[in-house]
Amino acid sequence: MKKELNYSQAFEKLETLLSQLEDGDIQLEDLAVKIKQANEWIDTCETKLRKVDAEIKIAVNDANGAAATK
Amino acid sequence: MTDTITLSELADQIQETVQQEFEGRAYWVKARIMNVKKYEKNRRCYLTLEDYENGTRTAELKSVFWANTYAEIEQFEKITKQVFKDGIEITCLVKLRFHKIYGLNLDVIKIDSAHTLGVLEMERQQTLDRLVKENPASIQLFDGVYRTYNNRLQLSAVIENIALITAPHSDGQRDFLQELLKNKHGYTFSVAEFLTTIQGETAHQLIIEQLQRIEKGAVAFDAVAIVRGGGSQADFKPFDNYDLAKYIAGFPVPVFTGIGHDRNQSIADLMAREQKTPTKVAALFVEHNFLFENQLMDLKTNLFNLVNDQVQDAREKLENARRIVKLSSPQTILARGFAIVTINNKIVTDPQKIKNGSAMKTLLRNEIICSTVTKKELDEKRTEL
Repeated sequence: MKKELNYSQAFEKLETLLSQLEDGDIQLEDLAVKIKQANEWIDTCETKLRKVDAEIKIAVNDANGAAATK
Repeated sequence: MTDTITLSELADQIQETVQQEFEGRAYWVKARIMNVKKYEKNRRCYLTLEDYENGTRTAELKSVFWANTYAEIEQFEKITKQVFKDGIEITCLVKLRFHKIYGLNLDVIKIDSAHTLGVLEMERQQTLDRLVKENPASIQLFDGVYRTYNNRLQLSAVIENIALITAPHSDGQRDFLQELLKNKHGYTFSVAEFLTTIQGETAHQLIIEQLQRIEKGAVAFDAVAIVRGGGSQADFKPFDNYDLAKYIAGFPVPVFTGIGHDRNQSIADLMAREQKTPTKVAALFVEHNFLFENQLMDLKTNLFNLVNDQVQDAREKLENARRIVKLSSPQTILARGFAIVTINNKIVTDPQKIKNGSAMKTLLRNEIICSTVTKKELDEKRTEL
């Protein structure tokens, strides 16, 4: 089973691909595949970012709640 | 037969002589007071004024404060913070009086408290000088400030375990505990009481014994509070004692003093951290913990801000990546009016591979145009796209 990338791994791959796109290093034949791959990495990063954001909000609320009920 | 006179006649002669010589005259004398017997209710004080040379008593006269001068004693104690008791040296204004039954007496009219203050201050300074000289490792004087091992100890981030040295059932004990335990922030403190007499001749030794108990005990205290409040303002002498000052200066737990006085600091105050009153010592502990909580809150806010900034930064980078990817996708390229040419279902990027007669497909946004190449020519003008 393919191991799921973490945020850093996915973003690193994405950055490499972006740099190739900007430099025109990708053959047109490969472009569609690469773009599909890039979108998958973006989705991975997006999902993880949302999760982290939600966790931070919970942590902030917990901390504020603890301070308020002290 | 030898001429005789009665004792009364002799006493009359003495009285007459004394009157002639001393009537209406008063003298400032410097003497040590001994055999002090105060009758506060009757407002009288009987004592002897004594003089010494090389430790030997050279003069002694019975003396008395009557009701009209008894206030001098109270004033003396108030000014000097020194109990009027055996052994202290005073300068006082006296009148000589002879009574046929009670003999020669001095009536004390006034005490020069300033003189006693000067003597006390000199003794105090001698003690301070000795402390610095004999304990260079734990007591130093810099720019008029006494820096001791104890008063330079780092305080715990949170002061929680406190050893309290005070007199049982004293105002100081009550004020300290009330301020500490009923603090407005609701902080909890653990206070272990080390109760002892903190006034009198042996008070300094009793306080040292309590400090020794604290040092040897199992509890790791964050601070020691020595407090005293209310009652007489007199007798701060224990807190000017060399041994107690030395012990405090080298004590391994931060010592705070609140011994309730408004004159110069006692030597114990200088060796420790002085807060004047028991209430102020307790308030300082509460404030210390409050400041720590504030620092913690600031750190928390900063932490969340940093994390939020990081998430925001990541989100922006991701958005940028999404935009670049979208712009690079074949669909976007076709939507802009560009076309993709394929021969045998393979994308052609090299025009050399297209020959006359080749069957090729041109992919546009919504349609595919199938065509056969009939002519090729170089783009001499290098048309700028």
